[in-house]
Amino acid sequence: MPQQLAIIVLVDIANALEMKTLEGNTYLFDNMKLHGSEGEGTGELVTAIHGSYWRDGSQATEQVLNWLPYSLGSIPPTVPRGYEAERARQTDRQALTELESMVAKPGSQGTPEATLTQIQQTIGTRVKTTKRTRGPAGQKVLDVTGNVISYDGAAAHSYPPPVITDVYGEAVDKKIMYPAEYGSPDMVTDGWYWSATVDSTRPGTYTYTMAIQLHRLLLQGGDWMWEPVDLTCDSKLRITSEPKRNAFTKSGLGLLPIPPA
Amino acid sequence: MAVKPQVSIIALVDVIGALSSRSLLDGNLVMIDDGSFASRAQGTPELCTIVQPGQVVQWTALAVDLQTPVEIKNIEFLRLQPAGQPAYPAPAPMGHPSAALPPTGPPSPAAAPYATGPGAYPPGPSGPAGVLAAPTTESEKLDLEIWAGVVPYYMAPGVAYRYRMEFQMYEGPYSVLYVETPSLMRI
Repeated sequence: MPQQLAIIVLVDIANALEMKTLEGNTYLFDNMKLHGSEGEGTGELVTAIHGSYWRDGSQATEQVLNWLPYSLGSIPPTVPRGYEAERARQTDRQALTELESMVAKPGSQGTPEATLTQIQQTIGTRVKTTKRTRGPAGQKVLDVTGNVISYDGAAAHSYPPPVITDVYGEAVDKKIMYPAEYGSPDMVTDGWYWSATVDSTRPGTYTYTMAIQLHRLLLQGGDWMWEPVDLTCDSKLRITSEPKRNAFTKSGLGLLPIPPA
Repeated sequence: MAVKPQVSIIALVDVIGALSSRSLLDGNLVMIDDGSFASRAQGTPELCTIVQPGQVVQWTALAVDLQTPVEIKNIEFLRLQPAGQPAYPAPAPMGHPSAALPPTGPPSPAAAPYATGPGAYPPGPSGPAGVLAAPTTESEKLDLEIWAGVVPYYMAPGVAYRYRMEFQMYEGPYSVLYVETPSLMRI
């Protein structure tokens, strides 16, 4: 059938990082409850896929799946693409202004120590980027409302959204689906998304695994950096297949049921 | 130009728009065909497809947003009226058109009258486009249906044979919408 199927992978990032597992910290949804998908909103989603075949047994429809990772504990994915970098620049400018006014009018805003602490708060905590860490570059630690925070190792902060890095497992090995990562103009998916076409001619339940990369803040050599953490999450496809039929005759092609004039 | 053996009619539905306004009008439904002759009102729900006996006509519903569900629930040709009466009758108040569907699901309470109460738009069964009563549970099998048939020879040339086309968009009490404006006409 022509409708595309979306599978939402919602991750509770803080808990997943703490427990070092996606089990119990992932909530899966798809848009095919109508077709009998089960376990919506849990980690045990079984996605129902209706296949169909022609009289000669050949495949009549092809299902397209799209995976979208969502995050619990991040700033919304709908903010503009350069939001984090823009916030970082803005707070740098603001800190410079504060510094300027401190130098120009010493003592006007309390003791120099208090003013410096204030400026430190404004600057927040920059996250160091290395060649090895693929995480978000040139950014600062934000809270979930999008404000720069001065991170002390314990404060609540926003995480980079989860990234699907692979889709594999039984359904792929058995050539039930053919997943690949595609470039996309859609900002919500950060410019990339995983998609697959499904061979709906072989009914059955097939498992697959998503490799999902999260990032945690790690203090290394006096700098905070986003360290990638790779975890996996399983789900299932349940494929059924039925013959196509003519809707007017319920069998083969016939005359249109037009009442005589 | 040789006459094509098959005419495809595509009904392109803005599912979210249609469900939000409970209407297939206002641009929520666009119908287009690829017939060999000069079909009229292309791109509107008033599409009049010019056909020739023996041709196969096939209807397909497509969603503007590919992640929204839409299927053709039923296509029923309306009866022409004798002279002096309105050209087309109101849909029969009883006898759900989908009652003829094969028994693929449990017997449905929705083999029921057209919605005429609250929620039906336009009120009453006489409008050109409206909402039907709760759909049957057969909706999940609609993707197996091929809406195709051969143009019969007994059609009178130059007469627009209007049909009611019903669309199922997901499920629930307002999930079925229809139009009675498209037609076939023999050249």
